[in-house]
Amino acid sequence: MQWRTIFAKEMSEDWRNFKWVWVPLVFILIAIMDPITTYFLPKILDSVGGMPDGAVFEMPEVSPVDAIMMSLTELSMFGVLVTVVISMGVISGERKSGVAELVLVKPVGYFTYISSKWAGKLLLVLTSYIIGMLVSWYYVNILFGEITFSDFMSLLFFYGLWLVLVITITIFYNTLFKVPGVVGAVSIGTIIVMSILNQIFSHKLTWFPNSLSSHIGEMLTTGEISGDLWGTSVVIIILVIVLLVSSLFTFRGKEMAG
Amino acid sequence: MEELKELDLAVIAPFIIIQLVLMIVGLIAWFKTDETNGPKWMWLLIIVFGSMLGPILFFIVGRRQN
Repeated sequence: MQWRTIFAKEMSEDWRNFKWVWVPLVFILIAIMDPITTYFLPKILDSVGGMPDGAVFEMPEVSPVDAIMMSLTELSMFGVLVTVVISMGVISGERKSGVAELVLVKPVGYFTYISSKWAGKLLLVLTSYIIGMLVSWYYVNILFGEITFSDFMSLLFFYGLWLVLVITITIFYNTLFKVPGVVGAVSIGTIIVMSILNQIFSHKLTWFPNSLSSHIGEMLTTGEISGDLWGTSVVIIILVIVLLVSSLFTFRGKEMAG
Repeated sequence: MEELKELDLAVIAPFIIIQLVLMIVGLIAWFKTDETNGPKWMWLLIIVFGSMLGPILFFIVGRRQN
C-alpha cells in the first residue's frame, strides 16, 4: 500500500517535470541517429562534393545487424548518460532538501522507499528505451534489411538488463552521497572503469557485464543465444540484487547516523 | 529519383516532429519555471534556437529544483 503511494508520487513528479515527454523523445533520437546518418552518408558526401573527378569511393555494405548494433553503441554512451542524469537526484536530492526525512518520519520502511524509487526510474527508462528501439528497428527494417521479430525481442530483453544495472548503480550511490552531482559523477566513473576493465580482460572475463553488447551482436549474427550471453545476464542480475540490498544497508546506516 | 525523395522525407519527418515537440514542451516548462540556473531569457533563446540539444539541456540543467 505504502509502496504504491510512493511509487505513484514518483510517477506524478516525473509527469510534472516533463520527464515522461522528453526522456522517450531523447531515447528515440539516440537510437535512430547513427543508423540514419550512416544510411545518408553517401548522399551527404555526394551533395557536399569536394571529391575529385572520377574518384570512386566504395561504401562498405552495412548489414541490418550492424545497423541495429549502432543503436546499442549510442545507447551505451548517451543513453547511459541520460539514465544517470535523471536518476542521480532521486534519493540524494530528497535527502538534501529534507523531503526524505518528511517521508521516513512516517511508518515507511527503508526498503519500501528505496525500491519504489528504483522501480519508478526503471519504468521510465525502460519504457523510453523500448520506444526508442522500436523506432530504430522500424528504420533498420526499411533502410537496411530485415531483423526478425524474435531476434529483436531477445535483443530488447538482454540489453534492457544493462540499463537496469545502470539504474541500480546510480540508486546505490544515491544512498551513499547526498549531492546529486557527486552521485552522477561517481556513477559515470564506475561505468567507465568497468568498461576499461572489460577492454583489458575481455578474453578472460567473458561474463563481465560490459561484454553484454558483444554477446548480443554474436547472437544476432549466429541466431543462437550463447552460454556466455546467459552467463553475463546472470552476473548482471546477481549484481543488481547485491547492489539493492547494499543500498538498503548503507541508507539505513546513513539515516541512523544523520 | 522521385521515389527516393519520398523515402527521404519519410525518414526525416520524425526528426522534425521530435524537434518541434521538444521545443514546445521546453517552452511550456520554461513558462512554468520560476527560477532557472542563470538568466531566464537566456534559456528562452537556448530552447528556441538550440535545435534539439537546447530543450534537452534546459530539462537537465536549466531548472532549479527545490
